Amino acid sequence: MPRPGFVLEVDRSTPPILTWHGEGFRLERLPAGRSRVIYAPEPVKPLEDPDEAIRHALLNPLGDSEPLPELLFPGMRLTIAFDDISLPLPPMRRPDNRQRVMEAVLDMAAAAGVDDVVLICALALHRRMTEAELRHAVGDRVYDAFAPSGRLLQHDAEDPDGLVHLGVTDHGEDVEINKRAAESDLLVYVNINLVAMDGGHKSVATGLASYRSLRHHHNVRTMRHSRSFMDQERSELHSSNWRMGRLIAASGVKVFQIETTLNNDTFPEQMAFLQKREWEWTTRDRAAYVATNKSLSLTPPRVARGIFQSIKAPHAMTSVHAGEVEAVHRATTEMVYRQQLVPVEGQTDIAVFGLPHLCPYNVNSIMNPILVMCMGLGYLFNLYRGRPVVREGGVAILSHPTPWAFHPVHHPSYIDFFEEVLADTTDPVEIEKNYEERFATDEWYRHLYRTSHAYHGVHPFYMWYWGSHALEHLGRVIIVGGDTRAVRRLGFSPASTLNDALEMASDVVGRDATITHLHCPPIMIADVH
Amino acid sequence: MRALQIERSLPRFAAARVAGRPAPLRLAEVEVPELPGPDWELVRPRLSGICGSDLATVSGRSSRWFEPIVSFPFVPGHEVVADTADGRRVVVEPVLHCRIRGVEPPCPACAAGRTNHCERLVAGHLGPGLQTGYCCDTGGGWSLALAAHRDQLHAIPAGWSDEAAVMVEPTACAVHAALLPPESAGGRAVVIGAGTIGLATIAAVHRLRDDITALIAVAKHPDQRRLARELGATTVVEPGEIRRAVRRATGSWMLDNGQLTGGADLVYDCVGSPESIAEALAVAAPGATVVLAGMPGHTGIDLTPLWQREIRLAGAYAYGPEPARGGRHSFDLAMDVVDAAGLERLVSAAYPLDRYTEAIDHAGSAGRRGAAKIVFDLRNEKRR
Amino acid sequence: MAEPGFRQAALPGGAEPRRRLPVSPGAVKAAASVARRRLRVPDAFPLAPPTWPGTVERPPAEKTLGVHYDSDWARTPAARLGRALVQDLVSAPAVRALAHPEVRGLDRIAHLDEPVIFAANHASHLDAPLLVSVIPERWRRELFVAGAADYFFDTRVKATAFAFLLNTVPIERQRVSRDSVNRVSELLADGWSMLIFPEGGRSPDGWGQPHQAGPAWMAARAGRPIVPVHVEGTGRILAKGSRKLRPGRSTVNFGRPLQPGQDRRALASELEAAIAALADEVGSDWYTARRRAAAGTTPPLTGPDAAGWRRAWALGERDGSARRRGRSERWPR
Repeated sequence: MPRPGFVLEVDRSTPPILTWHGEGFRLERLPAGRSRVIYAPEPVKPLEDPDEAIRHALLNPLGDSEPLPELLFPGMRLTIAFDDISLPLPPMRRPDNRQRVMEAVLDMAAAAGVDDVVLICALALHRRMTEAELRHAVGDRVYDAFAPSGRLLQHDAEDPDGLVHLGVTDHGEDVEINKRAAESDLLVYVNINLVAMDGGHKSVATGLASYRSLRHHHNVRTMRHSRSFMDQERSELHSSNWRMGRLIAASGVKVFQIETTLNNDTFPEQMAFLQKREWEWTTRDRAAYVATNKSLSLTPPRVARGIFQSIKAPHAMTSVHAGEVEAVHRATTEMVYRQQLVPVEGQTDIAVFGLPHLCPYNVNSIMNPILVMCMGLGYLFNLYRGRPVVREGGVAILSHPTPWAFHPVHHPSYIDFFEEVLADTTDPVEIEKNYEERFATDEWYRHLYRTSHAYHGVHPFYMWYWGSHALEHLGRVIIVGGDTRAVRRLGFSPASTLNDALEMASDVVGRDATITHLHCPPIMIADVH
Repeated sequence: MRALQIERSLPRFAAARVAGRPAPLRLAEVEVPELPGPDWELVRPRLSGICGSDLATVSGRSSRWFEPIVSFPFVPGHEVVADTADGRRVVVEPVLHCRIRGVEPPCPACAAGRTNHCERLVAGHLGPGLQTGYCCDTGGGWSLALAAHRDQLHAIPAGWSDEAAVMVEPTACAVHAALLPPESAGGRAVVIGAGTIGLATIAAVHRLRDDITALIAVAKHPDQRRLARELGATTVVEPGEIRRAVRRATGSWMLDNGQLTGGADLVYDCVGSPESIAEALAVAAPGATVVLAGMPGHTGIDLTPLWQREIRLAGAYAYGPEPARGGRHSFDLAMDVVDAAGLERLVSAAYPLDRYTEAIDHAGSAGRRGAAKIVFDLRNEKRR
Repeated sequence: MAEPGFRQAALPGGAEPRRRLPVSPGAVKAAASVARRRLRVPDAFPLAPPTWPGTVERPPAEKTLGVHYDSDWARTPAARLGRALVQDLVSAPAVRALAHPEVRGLDRIAHLDEPVIFAANHASHLDAPLLVSVIPERWRRELFVAGAADYFFDTRVKATAFAFLLNTVPIERQRVSRDSVNRVSELLADGWSMLIFPEGGRSPDGWGQPHQAGPAWMAARAGRPIVPVHVEGTGRILAKGSRKLRPGRSTVNFGRPLQPGQDRRALASELEAAIAALADEVGSDWYTARRRAAAGTTPPLTGPDAAGWRRAWALGERDGSARRRGRSERWPR
């Protein structure tokens, strides 16, 4: 029986706590008596026969939906959209959930005699996936069956001929999505719901949308009113997507939603210590830690990045639901919460976040300073339900090397954002007002997004907006062990050790400030009362 | 008379190149220069600037191109504000062209007024020398007295500081460079380098060229970036960021090897190194003009973009009547720019002649040390 | 478009563009008989075995060959160790060099952890060593091959060799006896997996043959899943009756396991269809294969019901499956 999450009160006999630091980790001793550490629940038991579970879900849909086979008929246009490279994290071992689900769906489509099938990677404004990445996600069989004949597509949010404007919501939001998806007789969306933010109406309304449509919810105002965006009940991001999703349904687009959840079994056996509680480390775990740390200290950063990016998580499927979007998503969210929710009593003055090597936007890539900000203040800060872990006016301490390094192919507009925009201001509102449009309409970024493997020109802005709630909420942000110049450019304070950072934080929150360390990954959501 | 003097000494030049010390330069007791003719007078320098070309000379890095058009031993210093015998304060326009050399008839360039293009730099009653400060007969600014032709002297308006006045000569160079290229259609200019010439060029472009609406300056050091912004640059970037900055400003694309599909119409290279010239070519739009305002030397750069994109590479040397400004002289325009932009702030430090080694060092590392123009202060030297 | 004939013709002298092994099976046989003659094995008693007097009745010989061969010794720890060494150091590298197998569909059996029955189509002597080398480790070490009793177990030398090298267990080609089924079931129950060729023998002409009922019976009896496997390409490398090895490429495609139900006949035809669908998958693509399987139009492996040359003609059309696999990108870092 897997144990639920746990909040440790740090005392004098507490061992040092593992803190992620990019492509590596440190053991940090937290001040006794005023610190606590939040541990994720242990991995829940996976499905015994995922393929059978998928079949069962497709045949027994939730909500107002017929079983999948009854929605399939010869001569129909079937489109299957699926989540892109940003899910799950780290990428899971083969076979990926997407492959399992798509094969099951396609098996039924084959049985029904459907010929016109198109698969679309719903990447919104993310980078296009490479062949190897697509093969990993959908499997070789599906790839070989569809890619050579041009029926495995990647959504293009800048294709003037590939989009259709479905209307405007009662809040004045344009809804413009992929034309093929909108004009199909059935749109099947295959999700991997790693965190509570994923899925629901957001799948289609965001994943298959254009910039014109996305800017209505990917902006500073929405993000500041999403508290947090992991809690769909209190997220303006989700309200907007739900309005759009209902408009999409009302305009006659038939969506059959399939959502799968994973357990948080994140690291392979030899790195198991990364998801264990420190006082339970065995001799083997300690040896593995020492050996890993020692060899990492001798490894050049580029090589270390390659090693960490090659980690494939032993994630296993814990549930699969199919049918009508909202009914499916309710069931899925419950499963996500069951794996990730940790009850936490009250807020603290200081939150400590160890940032791993990976965020949703640097799979097989480099975690650049803007992504460090987004991972720390966008994702980790927002892993709460109720109230943020850290009080208003408190301090966030992030731990990451924050190198002044960018992936030239994946993140071209990030470089300009860092060199030009952040050199001018770090205020999200100013940034949105003065720079967003120029970046969003830059011809070169558009060209790279559409033909190469680059994130859209506007994407770094979204990263910054992702953290805008935290920027407004926090009194100070300190990065431990980062490149000093890069940290300053982000508008944060650099510190060389955690103790220095705590010392600096005391200027803002006083000497006896309480501290909370989110021991993540594995992913969890702090349910703060 | 005390003066800093350069003699022709191959071992010393070689030593300077190797050791990086101003070996050819020495502080000496020399004769006060004889007046070469009736229109000449003896002027006494107050401040005398150290120019990039001076640094190249004293460190032995100067091009051999100059060999026939200088005459040893000479006293360097051509950015001079001086007192005349009758008590006027003047700046010296150092070019030693036909009229000053007493060449009759003048060469075609001088006859047309383009004295900076003079073809008789070795003729007349002076020894060879392109400017005061490179000629054995006139003396130079790094001393207590020099001989100047009446036509070389420009009066300083009343109320000007010596610091402002000493900036007139370098600013005149910048004015000349700024006004050299034809009108820009795109309205975007790039100034690479933010030493004295770079900053003066920024000021000159900002004030004299209405066709430029976006001025991107490339500056290495924080103080330079601040000054560049104050003097009129709309965007200031670090050297590694220039291509991306120009790409953003011009909406062009960047290809895989980092080359831009477009660029700026005007590019001023105020550094003169092979790297800066290559970078200037890289950010120039097809049909653009690249102006070399800083003195270049031997370079080995790829000129393919010059050919493929019909880029004009233009040198900008010295000063003269500016056709773009109805024939007004660069010095007059420079006085306006110095006054309007307050360029006296670029004068960062003044040294007596005795401390010339320190002065040269400081000038050589000016940017890194937050300085721009280093001058010799001769106002308090003992006059014997 | 690649036109193999064109490329062939372009070679100087029209030489056959295939590599040949330095040694062919025929040459080995010839060398052995020469060696025997040279060594002059003595033929006189007592150096040779005694002859049997015609006046004495021969007692019925104890049946120790054919289907009665007892191969238990081949599963002792020593034999297993020896076999593992030979397989890993000799036969697997040799097979890889010879057949360049591309393995697909392992993800379809990744979740299985019990003894299973691998059932494959059969075109060549290479099939068994090839499959043994590509079947994942956790089955490979405890795997036996069902081999035709009349072919592999007719002499003591052959029987010993095959029992050792491939852990071959004798079985009837047709109409499997109850004894054989019992023996196999016991082995499956002991945790051994089985590799069997349901066609009962190699294909004479490149097309498949109708399946025998044995494998489905054994699966039902042992209650173990059958993994359909399709092997493609070995027939070109070493065909039945061929004395030449032509190194080439091959594909091994593992299918979704079939769980034995009540109906043995249904399982047998399901297996036959599954292998045909796997073949279709290699020849076309997965979705097309699924479509045809669902519509019941999967091209049968047994080929057209027609005379020899038309079968060969049709075989040519079926071959030449598309090669694939892109390398993963190397990014500047």
